[in-house]
Amino acid sequence: MELSYTAEQQAFRAEVRAWLQANMPAGPLVTLEREEGFHQHVAWERKLASGNWGMVTWPVQYGGRGLDLIQWLIFEEEYWAAGAPLRANQNGIFLLGPTIMEFGTNDQKSRFLPPMAKGEVIWAQAWSEPNAGSDMAAITAKATRDGDHYVLSGQKTWSSRASFADWGFGLFRTDPESSRHKGLSFILFDLNSPGVTRRPIRQLHGDPGFAELFFDDVRVPVSNRIAGEGEGWNVAMATAGFERGLMLRSPGRFQATAARLVALFRQHREHLAPSVEDAVAQAWMDAQAYAYNTYAVASKIMAGGHIGAEASLNKIFWSELDRAMHRTAMQILGAAAELRHLEDGAVNNWLDGYIFSLSGPIYAGSNEIQRNIIAERLLGLPR
Amino acid sequence: MDFRLTADQEALTGGIRSFLAAEHGVETVRQLDGGQRPAALRGKLAEMGLAALLVPEAEGGLGLDLVTGALVAIELGRACVSDPIADTALIAAPWLAAHPEGNWLSRLAEGDAIIALAHPANPWVADLDLADAVIGGGKVVALPSPPAETAIETVDPLRRLFAATAVGQDDLLLDLGALMTAGQLIGVADTMLAMAVEYATQRRQFGQPIGSFQAVKHHLASAAVKIEFAKPVLLRAAASQQAPSPVAALHVSHAKLAATDAAIAMAETAIQVHGAMGYTYEVDLHFWMKRSWALAGAWGDRNFHLRRISAGILSGTAPIGAAHTFI
Repeated sequence: MELSYTAEQQAFRAEVRAWLQANMPAGPLVTLEREEGFHQHVAWERKLASGNWGMVTWPVQYGGRGLDLIQWLIFEEEYWAAGAPLRANQNGIFLLGPTIMEFGTNDQKSRFLPPMAKGEVIWAQAWSEPNAGSDMAAITAKATRDGDHYVLSGQKTWSSRASFADWGFGLFRTDPESSRHKGLSFILFDLNSPGVTRRPIRQLHGDPGFAELFFDDVRVPVSNRIAGEGEGWNVAMATAGFERGLMLRSPGRFQATAARLVALFRQHREHLAPSVEDAVAQAWMDAQAYAYNTYAVASKIMAGGHIGAEASLNKIFWSELDRAMHRTAMQILGAAAELRHLEDGAVNNWLDGYIFSLSGPIYAGSNEIQRNIIAERLLGLPR
Repeated sequence: MDFRLTADQEALTGGIRSFLAAEHGVETVRQLDGGQRPAALRGKLAEMGLAALLVPEAEGGLGLDLVTGALVAIELGRACVSDPIADTALIAAPWLAAHPEGNWLSRLAEGDAIIALAHPANPWVADLDLADAVIGGGKVVALPSPPAETAIETVDPLRRLFAATAVGQDDLLLDLGALMTAGQLIGVADTMLAMAVEYATQRRQFGQPIGSFQAVKHHLASAAVKIEFAKPVLLRAAASQQAPSPVAALHVSHAKLAATDAAIAMAETAIQVHGAMGYTYEVDLHFWMKRSWALAGAWGDRNFHLRRISAGILSGTAPIGAAHTFI
């Protein structure tokens, strides 16, 4: 075990910090979940790309920096410590990008990856359907072959970024006779194609961050299919693995929240019950624990190991930590917690954060599903 | 930056684990509880050479670090070892390395001394009846003869505790004690998880193993998450104490809290999963549960360690936030 950074890693940290200091947006952006804010966030993606900080873990040939996982952790620590914006490009960075790199043809790689890396095309994901949530294999949206095209029909929902994004990816049933995990294909589609209807869904906070998608005979070239026909389930599972695994939520994000929570606590401490102090101390500890664990997993992967069902431990830990930290902040704010703006006029980010934290235990595989995975695959309990 | 164990650490830990599984299994634990002390046990434990692990090479030891020590602590907890070996090998040895006095270190390296520990954090001294010396208040005091008093009663049937005499503060002793106790708690929790999983797999109700029910699965998964996330905290604290980092005490307190919370939650989960059987003396789970309750308060209880975190993080000047994971 060697728990210190090399001179090279320290220099890298300084480089990230300097770039962010010089290039951060002047003030907070409007929320990503509103059209105006979405465009501001896309502009930030393009700014990141201009400094080649958009897709830091992607190989250089696809428009990334080819960073290793420790460098990625350092980048993320600096990114969140600086208070930089949420990533509009999230689906591309961690979900679709790695999927195309692993399963795509050379043509698909050169067609889709560079515009993704530059923030020119923003991607929405389209997994869930009204009757296929945790039970994703119940998908019924169809892709019917017609010459060198598929014709998409059916419905997707909870499609994140889809209200304003450019393109989407998801699973469609290409074999009408199939059921469950078989006969599904992974297909990319232009959200502006004729026949696609987006119905933005107002989320808990009131803004339309995700959408329902309706497909009425949407024609998509067969060359938009990733991997073989009928192989979609395995491709999607690999994608979900990237998401749940190491990279969806880096520890820097939660450590930054914990540090803000400590600052909030210091501001209000004379009014607070001792239990709040304990909760704040716990927040710092758990954010640190998540960081240590991530460094441990990253070290293992860099040495040739891989992450499997252990990813479910991570997902439960960070999502419940995030909810607990924001709940504690709401408790500290007391009567002001419900207000959209705090005394100094700034947006009450703790309120928005608390609302968003409630989705953490649900998205990317609900925590009930994660607990099943831990029990069955890690502990060996019977199915 | 590399947060992995070395191949040597993996091999040593695996070796100790197999040795203890063979020589200090549940049969031994039951015999010890019945007042029998298998004659060969002390010799076998000494044979492992644990007491020499953390003694500096110059004194005839192996000169291994506290990370390795913490890994050994996990194994001692896993096997519910109640012998003074943990205190002597994992706490007294590194303390003596920082306070070389007499020939105690070379005696430890030879497996020839048992050292008890006195600290104001604990209202007792463990295994005073077996000790050749006691560390307390910054000094080592040889014990020419066993104490006259009898052991104090404790919930853990395998611990022998004796009344403490007043001694002064000793921060290093406290931090080493808390660190190695955290390690043992994680091992104790690991065993309780394994026992509960095994019981849930064997025990059938409604025509199927109770471990196939989601309510039981989710209890065990939640406990597993707590244990899994306490482990890197322990290793981080051990590395920090070894360095030593200026904030090592905070990392040790974090480790003690994380390990305590994981073990107590695991004990409650394990008894729930065992149902009424868990409430009996007939299944072996109770030895590990009681050890978790005993160690939870040892070497600084939850209150003490939470206050230390609070003083360092909430009121203090320790740097916190995303850029300060290791600095």
